[in-house]
Amino acid sequence: MSLYGMLRTSVSGMNAQSNLLGTVSDNVANSGTTGYKAADAEFSSLMLDSGGTAASVGYQPGSVDTKVRYGISTQGTLNYTSSPTDLAINGNGFFLVKNTAGQTLLTRAGAFQIDATSGNLVNTAGLTLMGYPANDAAAQSTLNGTGGLVPVNIGNAKVSANASTKGTFTANLPSAATVVTGDTAGSNAADATYTAKSSLVAYDKLGAPVTLDIYMTRTAANPAAWEMAVYNRADAPATGSFPYAAGALATQTLSFNEAGALTSAGSIAIPVPNGANVTLDIAGMTQLASGYTPLAATVDGNAPASVSSVSIDQDGTLNAVDQSGQKYAMYKIPFGHVSSPNNLTPVAGNAFQVSEQSGDLQVGAPGEGGLGKLISGATEQSTVDMASELTRMIVAQRDYTANSKVFQTGTELLDVLMNLKR
Amino acid sequence: MSLSVALNTAQSSLFAAASKLSVSSRNIGAANDPSATRKIALTATTADGGTRVVSITRASNNALYVRMLQANSDSAASSAMNDGLAGLQTTIGDPQSQTSPAARLATLSNALTAAANTPDDPALGQAAVTAAQDLAQSLNDASAIVQKTRAEADGKIAASVTHVNDLLQQFATENDAVVNGSIRGADVTDAMDRRDAILTQISQEMGVSTVSRAGNDIVIYTDSGATLFDRSPRTVTFQASPALDAATTGKAVFVDGVAVTGADATMPIRSGAIAGLTKVRDQIAVTYQTQLDEVARGLVSAFAESDQTGGGAPDAAGLFTASRGSNAVPPVFVAGLAGTIAINAAVDPSRGGAPSRLRDGGMNGAAYIYNPTGAASYAGHLDGLTAALNATQPFAAGAALPGNASVSQFATASVSWLEQQRQSTTGNLDSQKAVLSQATGALSSATGINLDQEYANQLDLERSYQASAKLMGVVNQLYDALLAVIR
Repeated sequence: MSLYGMLRTSVSGMNAQSNLLGTVSDNVANSGTTGYKAADAEFSSLMLDSGGTAASVGYQPGSVDTKVRYGISTQGTLNYTSSPTDLAINGNGFFLVKNTAGQTLLTRAGAFQIDATSGNLVNTAGLTLMGYPANDAAAQSTLNGTGGLVPVNIGNAKVSANASTKGTFTANLPSAATVVTGDTAGSNAADATYTAKSSLVAYDKLGAPVTLDIYMTRTAANPAAWEMAVYNRADAPATGSFPYAAGALATQTLSFNEAGALTSAGSIAIPVPNGANVTLDIAGMTQLASGYTPLAATVDGNAPASVSSVSIDQDGTLNAVDQSGQKYAMYKIPFGHVSSPNNLTPVAGNAFQVSEQSGDLQVGAPGEGGLGKLISGATEQSTVDMASELTRMIVAQRDYTANSKVFQTGTELLDVLMNLKR
Repeated sequence: MSLSVALNTAQSSLFAAASKLSVSSRNIGAANDPSATRKIALTATTADGGTRVVSITRASNNALYVRMLQANSDSAASSAMNDGLAGLQTTIGDPQSQTSPAARLATLSNALTAAANTPDDPALGQAAVTAAQDLAQSLNDASAIVQKTRAEADGKIAASVTHVNDLLQQFATENDAVVNGSIRGADVTDAMDRRDAILTQISQEMGVSTVSRAGNDIVIYTDSGATLFDRSPRTVTFQASPALDAATTGKAVFVDGVAVTGADATMPIRSGAIAGLTKVRDQIAVTYQTQLDEVARGLVSAFAESDQTGGGAPDAAGLFTASRGSNAVPPVFVAGLAGTIAINAAVDPSRGGAPSRLRDGGMNGAAYIYNPTGAASYAGHLDGLTAALNATQPFAAGAALPGNASVSQFATASVSWLEQQRQSTTGNLDSQKAVLSQATGALSSATGINLDQEYANQLDLERSYQASAKLMGVVNQLYDALLAVIR
C-alpha cells in the first residue's frame, strides 16, 4: 500500500505547496493595497496509523494539511498623505465600518473619502466609517456592542453657532490714575467718566457677535478700588459714550492690595443679551505703576459659519473647522478590537469579520489600553514584504518540484511492478 | 519586511529632502522681501524609522519685533511733527532773510527812527508806513501758513485714519487665514508674514500693543489700551474739519468709541503718525498762532493813539488796526488777530490816507492830534511810538513765552521758540531713525533670510537626496538578484 500512499502523500504535498503559492500570489498582488494584511500558509503533518511497531508492518505515509493564517495583528508602515480624512492606526485597534448590507466589519484600510451622494466617509472598498455623535455621551460608553454607532457624515455639516460661556480678561490698571469723583461709568449717567475702556466680542445663542464694552473706573485711591462696568455696544448712543440705552450688564468692584494684586472676586458673570452667562476670569488683574495695558483677552464661542474643512485628533475626535477658524467636535471615531485579531475572518475589501475564534467585539476610544493612536493624514501600507514573498515562492516552487519527483518515482516503481507479469 | 522598509525609508527621506528644498527655494525667492522671515521645515521620525516634514514654521523673535514696532511708531510721530514744523518754518524762512515778522518789525523800528530824525521829510514817513504795511502783510501770511499747516495735518489725520481702517480690514483677512490654517495644521507662515507686515504699517499710523491668543490669534490695542482688533476690526473714526482757523479746534480721533487724541482724550495715544500730526495741529501750530496773534495785538496797542484833549476818550487804534475799518484796541488776547491785522486806512495812501498822520497823529479824529500846529519839525509822537515799541507790555500765557516783554523782543523770542522746537524734533527724529534702523537690523538678522545659510542647507539636502536615491538603487538591485533566481 505504501507505493499508493506515496502517490497520495506527494499529491497532498503538491496541493499544500500550491496553497502556499496561492497566498504568495495574493500577497504579491496586494503588496500595494492599503490596510492589507499578509497571508501565510502553515503546514501540519497528518500521520496514518502504521499498525503498531512490528517490523513486519510497512510504513504508511500520511499527508500534509494546510492552514492559512493572516498576520492581522502586524502593524503596517504608515504612508503620509495630504488628505486629513486618510486615517491610520498605530496600535491594535480597527476602524468600525459598515458594508452596503448593513453589516458591521473591522478594517485597517483607512483611505476614507467623502462620498458625494451620501456625504459619508467611505473607504476604497466602499465601506462606511462609523462613529458616535460627539454630543452622545451615553452611546460612547458602550463597550461591547455597536449600539449608537452612526455613519460619520461630514457632507452636510451644518452651519452652527456656539454661545460664549467663558473668557479671560487680564489687564494692568494704572496705579497713578486719578480717582473719578463724579458719575462713574457704572452709573450710565450722561456725564459719566471712566479711566480706561476695552472691548471684547462674545457670541449670543444665535451666534451673533455681541461687542462688550468694558469700562474701568478708579473709585478710591487707598485702598485702591476700581469699578468694572460692562455694557452692550448695541445700546451705545450714536454720539459720545454715555448714556447707553440699557444699564450695565454687569458691574463689579475690584479691590487691590498694596502690592497691586487683586483681592476681590476673581471672576465676573456677564449675562450676554440673548446668550449665556459669560464667566469672565479677571483673577490676573493687577494695579501697578504702569499704563493701562490689556494682557490677555479671550472669549469662547463662535459665529455661525459654514464648515470649511475637517480635522481629526489623535483621540478620534472629528472636528469641523469653520471659516472663522473655530473648530468644534462632530463625531468621536471609536476603535473596535477582539482578543485574537489573527483569528478574524477576512472578507472582501480588506475587512474582517468577528468569528468564534477571534473573541467578541469590544469597542473603545483611540488611545485606550493599547488600541493605539488615530493618525490623520496617513494610511497604513500593506504588510507584504516583496523579498520574503519571492523567497517563499522559490522555496515553494522547489518543494512542489520535489513532490512531483516523488510522484514520478512512485509511478515508475508501479510501472516496474506492472512489468513483473507479462 | 526589511527590504520594503528600507525602500519606504529611502522614499520618505526623498520626500522630506524635496519638501525642505522647496522651503529653501521659497526662502531664496523671498530673500529680497524685507517682511519675509526664514521658513523652517520641521521633520520628525515616523513609526517605521522614516522621516517626514511635520510642519513648516518660521523664525521669529517677538521681543525684537515689538521693539521694531515701537521704534516705527516713535519715528513716524517725530517725522510727522518734523514735517509740520518745516511747514511752520516757512513763515520765518532763512534766519538771515528779512521776510519774517520779527525782521519786518526791526525794519519798521528803523524806519520810525529815521522818520523821527527827519520829521519834515515826507518820504521817510512814507517809508515807515510801507514798512508797517509789509509787517502787517507778513503777519497775515504767517497766520495763513500756520492755519494751512493745521489744515494739512487735519487732512493727513483723516487719510491716516482711513488707512488704519483699511489696514485693519486686511489684518482681519490675514488673521482669519492664520487662525483657520493653524487649526487645520496648514502652513500659515506666509499669512503670518503678511499679517506682521500689515501690523508694521498700522504701527506707522498709531502706536500699538498686541496680545497673542491660542491658535496664533492676535488682539491689537493702541499703545494707550483702546481695542483696535479683537476677532473683528474696531472702527477708527475721525471727522476732518473742512477749514480750520485760529479760533477752531480740530476734531478728535476715536478708536472703538474712545477719544485717543485731543485735549480731553480718555486714552491718548503716545506714538505713531496720528499722534505726531495731532501734536502739530493742536499744540505746536496753535501755540505759534498765539504768538503771532500776540505780536499783532502788541503792535496794535503800541501804536494806539490816546486822547490829547484830556477828554478821556478811550485809546483808539493807530498805525495798526486789529482789522480793516476797526479802531478798537483789544485789551486781551484775540485768536486770529495776526490774520486780520492791517494798517490804518487814514495813513494808507492807496486808501486815500495821508502818511503824515503818522507824525502828527489824528487818525481817529481831531481829539487824537498830537501836533495840532502841523509843525514840520515835530518828532515827539514818532519818538513816542519808537519808545512804545520797545516798552514792556504783558502777553498771554498761552504763547509759551515770557509774559512781559517788548513787542520786538516777543517777536524775536517767537522765532527762536519755533527754531528750537524744530531743532529738538529733528534731533529726536534722527535718534529715533537710528533706533528704528538698529531694531530693524536686529530683527532682520534674527528672523530674516540668510542666503549663505540657504546655500549650505541646499548642499546638505542634495547630499541626503543622493544618498537616499542610491539606497533605492541598491534595494532595486537586490530585488533584481532575487528575481534572477526565479527562472
